[in-house]
Amino acid sequence: MAFENSNDNPAAISKTKIFRWSVFLLIFSVIVVIGNHIAGYDAGYPIYEPLIGMLILCAMTLAGMILERMIPHNISSIIYISIIGLVLSLPGMPTSEFIVYYVSQIDLTVICTVFLAYVGIAVGKDWDKFKKIGWKGVVITMFVITGTYVCSAVIADIVLIATGMI
Amino acid sequence: MPPTLIILTMPLLYAMLLGLGLFLMKPIKIFGREFDLVGRRQSKVAQGAMLVFIGPLIAKLAVSSGQSIGVIFQVGPALLLQELGNLGTVFFALPIALLLGFKRETIGMTSSICREPNLGVVIDKYGFDSPEARGVLAIFVIGTMIGTIYISFLASVLISLDILHPYAFAMASGIGSASMNAAAISPLVYMFPAMKTDLMAFAGSSNLISFCFGVYECIFLSLPLTEFLYGRLEPILGRSSGEENESDLNEGEM
Repeated sequence: MAFENSNDNPAAISKTKIFRWSVFLLIFSVIVVIGNHIAGYDAGYPIYEPLIGMLILCAMTLAGMILERMIPHNISSIIYISIIGLVLSLPGMPTSEFIVYYVSQIDLTVICTVFLAYVGIAVGKDWDKFKKIGWKGVVITMFVITGTYVCSAVIADIVLIATGMI
Repeated sequence: MPPTLIILTMPLLYAMLLGLGLFLMKPIKIFGREFDLVGRRQSKVAQGAMLVFIGPLIAKLAVSSGQSIGVIFQVGPALLLQELGNLGTVFFALPIALLLGFKRETIGMTSSICREPNLGVVIDKYGFDSPEARGVLAIFVIGTMIGTIYISFLASVLISLDILHPYAFAMASGIGSASMNAAAISPLVYMFPAMKTDLMAFAGSSNLISFCFGVYECIFLSLPLTEFLYGRLEPILGRSSGEENESDLNEGEM
């Protein structure tokens, strides 16, 4: 998506883009809120409250994605979104109580489930490439992921014990 | 109590498989006309949407991180040091890749978890047509296909063995891929609802650390380490294919 920025009218481009992202995010929010309700994570709250939570998360996403394109360094929107979300919900920030109240009504697993449905459809395109690389690639990928995950967990566990945290 | 192995089949696994199934399904015939419910076009849109949808996931983790900033500072050393665990890819996967008969591709395949930033580093260093770049691209494609499902499965299996603390797994889930981060933390949040906020806080901050330093770790630590281990292990484990593979050794400067 980044290389489309070279167009000579970046402002107009980003306007239609922002509109498209907003529509995507709105659809996503509605699906998540319905899933969240079915799973019962919003029990005891009126249905519009988790929706507000989702809209807060979407606003952070939009801000991060716009910043990625506005700031000339090649920094991933993931970093901007993380920092915005983190700073705005720091204890003591005026926004903190509001954000935490609404966002905590949405469960992470629900967002993840909806997200993965889209991943499933999106990766379908690469199915032929995937088959061409074959089982050896699958085996190596599993070892790659296991390697980083297990080693990180072991180091974290040792340091947590050493520093008396657990 | 002996640890029991639980394989948690979570809705997120079904969601992804259903999505993939819908794409692979043959077009249905209605009144003699073919309808492809989810085709190539929808898949392309879903790919664009996916890049946007990762945002709210990351934002959710970030809010937990901000909320629990005090705890994060307390466990700071563990959070920072576990980042070195990313080097584990080399130790685990390099011998396997060599045993499976790969040559220089191994360097690209096993130096990192092969997400977008790592693709950039490897292609930049070895060139787009190099075997190293072929390797990193292959694992990138497979990682996109199976990475999220696999790590969520792995997380639920490992946590049920009850050897390491859930906090350690939460910190480990920041491996440099936002979607795998979320997929790895979901089973933990599901199994330990009481620790939910802390688990998400650790996962979110560990992911942020990975995104900030992962590329440098790849350039300065894991690639040199992979080269070193490749030099040592290839003569022992590598299959003698008879071809001169040193000839395409292309140590271009960065």
